[in-house]
Amino acid sequence: MSARAATPTPAQESLVAAFAARPGEPAWLADARRESLGRFESLGLPTTRHEDWRFTDLSGLSGQPWVRPGEGGGPWTGALLPEGPRLVFVNGRLRPDLGDAGGLPAGTIATGLAEALARHPEEVRAHLGRLARAEDHPFVAANTALFEDGAFVRLPPGAGPDLSIALVFLSDPGAAPAAAFPRVLLVAGAGARASVAEVFVGRGGPAYLTGAVTEIVLGEGAVVEHVRLQAEALQAYHVGVVCAESAARASLTAHAFTLGGALSRSELRARLAGEGGSVAANGLYLADGTRRVDNFSWVEHAVPHCTTSETYKGILDGHSRAVFAGRIVVKPGAQKTNAYQMNSNLLLSEDAVVDTKPQLEIFADDVKCGHGGTVGQLDEAALFYLRSRGVREEEARGLLMWAFASEMVGRVGPAPLRARARQLVAARLPSGARLVEAMA
Amino acid sequence: MSTGNGRDALLRVEGLRARIGENEILKGVGLSLGPGEVHAIMGPNGSGKSTLAGVLAGRPSCEVTAGTVVYAGQDLLALTPEARAAAGVFLGFQYPVEIPGVGNLFFLRTALNAVRRTRGEDELDAMDFLALAKEKMKLVDLDPAFGSRSVNEGFSGGEKKRNEVFQMAVLEPRLAILDEIDSGLDIDALRVVARGVNALRREDRAILLVTHYKRLLEYIRPDRVHVMAGGRIVRSGGPELADELEKTGYAWVAGEKPEGSTAGSTRGGATP
Repeated sequence: MSARAATPTPAQESLVAAFAARPGEPAWLADARRESLGRFESLGLPTTRHEDWRFTDLSGLSGQPWVRPGEGGGPWTGALLPEGPRLVFVNGRLRPDLGDAGGLPAGTIATGLAEALARHPEEVRAHLGRLARAEDHPFVAANTALFEDGAFVRLPPGAGPDLSIALVFLSDPGAAPAAAFPRVLLVAGAGARASVAEVFVGRGGPAYLTGAVTEIVLGEGAVVEHVRLQAEALQAYHVGVVCAESAARASLTAHAFTLGGALSRSELRARLAGEGGSVAANGLYLADGTRRVDNFSWVEHAVPHCTTSETYKGILDGHSRAVFAGRIVVKPGAQKTNAYQMNSNLLLSEDAVVDTKPQLEIFADDVKCGHGGTVGQLDEAALFYLRSRGVREEEARGLLMWAFASEMVGRVGPAPLRARARQLVAARLPSGARLVEAMA
Repeated sequence: MSTGNGRDALLRVEGLRARIGENEILKGVGLSLGPGEVHAIMGPNGSGKSTLAGVLAGRPSCEVTAGTVVYAGQDLLALTPEARAAAGVFLGFQYPVEIPGVGNLFFLRTALNAVRRTRGEDELDAMDFLALAKEKMKLVDLDPAFGSRSVNEGFSGGEKKRNEVFQMAVLEPRLAILDEIDSGLDIDALRVVARGVNALRREDRAILLVTHYKRLLEYIRPDRVHVMAGGRIVRSGGPELADELEKTGYAWVAGEKPEGSTAGSTRGGATP
């Protein structure tokens, strides 16, 4: 029996054709890749008939063939490369010349995934593909089959607290639309405390696709802040899937900033597997024109005494469209669960649309769960107040948008990352350059 | 002191009519204000005082249907609110707006620098601005801690009004329209606000006080008092007019000139 779609799309065909065996890789990975490719072939790319993709039409992505990306040109400099320990990728491939491995404490590993497969194969094998399951997710399947490189970050028990590692993914599109599938594996030992940022930036030009998958394993009592700064070029397609699992008393704070891309899907799939664990999911998305932004979160409370708090905020202008789907599943026996979900939207135009879909599935009886949301416009009274003091209308609008968005920037813990997020967010707002300057 | 009726009036309003939605609120307002003068507009609730203030500052919900407003030789009604501010018009709000997430001083520096840019002046950097702001905050006893809080968020009524006068002090307008700057203030707060406004009286600056009560005028002595009713100025006079109103209330206004009526005489010399 086959679930294969009747006609494979050009995207699917081209991606399957791009598959190549990688000599030298461990046999277990070669097997996993072949299996994932098979799953990708039978699943096909999602359509709006799929419940989890109901509001996000991928036909633009599906309808064209994608090639493997080229090497990409240069130079890449300045603000693109943050201070401190960093791994830098161009078109999905590690560029050691742009990275900085300095400042990592003993026992901490931050290296390219291809290199890790050679040097720490057993540690990678223990986790890769365990949380990001290719069985029912076409993009995870495609990523597992096709990733060329990515990052392996291992934090030894007790690492931190002032440890911050940046993973920078640069895209330099070539003549033909190209797809990169970076893969990140982050393993935090017991009690480790660190922040890991993934920054996605691209150059203008032809369309390109980033299909990123990140797996985060939190040991007992680990405290991890994961910051996703998606500031792709405006013609890009971006699908990012973050899968996490926390042991007892571990805490994950996941930020998803969606600032660029013609179409962007950001997924957080987290499982609270040990008592006393917590997930805080923060999202901020900005869209205008005909851009599409989709935030999908799925948190499973498998055990008692865990907490989820989700706050997603969006600003939509023009004909843009955003989707927020947040599912929280409280398994039988997961008593004393505390879960809350909030989605607030600022709609700046009559034609902007947001579809927000909270889903609480509760199979325990002693829990506190709730959700809320708002959809509003810019406060006209505040706008007039600012203008009456001399602030130009465009700048006043930018200021009010910043006031709405800044809460999410303020939640980023490490100061350098917060500053980076502030700069990237403000740059997408009206009179943003002036805002950034004034805030400096 | 001049009544502002001369050729060099800073503000000249003639035959001004305006509506909010379907309701005509201003039904032919005339007013003239010279540099250095302080005028008060008094009147019962609903007489159009705040609408007049809003129209002068460019409030988008107030639609002007007839009349002219000439400010410093230019057509004020043709300017955006921000251009009016750059030209030196300041509106002190009856209900200052809370703007969570925007720092009070950050906002004010943005405003001041926008105004300075428009005037072709250099922008103030953060250090110079802070020094200026601290000095001006003293004028209304505003705690410097208010600088880093969000604009008006969680401020008491008195703090909001002091913040308005502080902003006026920083922006140095040529024409300040203070809409019920006294409402919601206890006597101590009123004294502080009035002291601040009085300190800002200057030969080249005109102030238009909009108020319901005479109380404010005991602290800020106006040169002229205008009584507004039914969307018009129905009487103008010297400061003694406020005393008369204190004795008689607004009842005579309502009796003489019912809301919405087009009849009625105009006493005094406000309308040229």
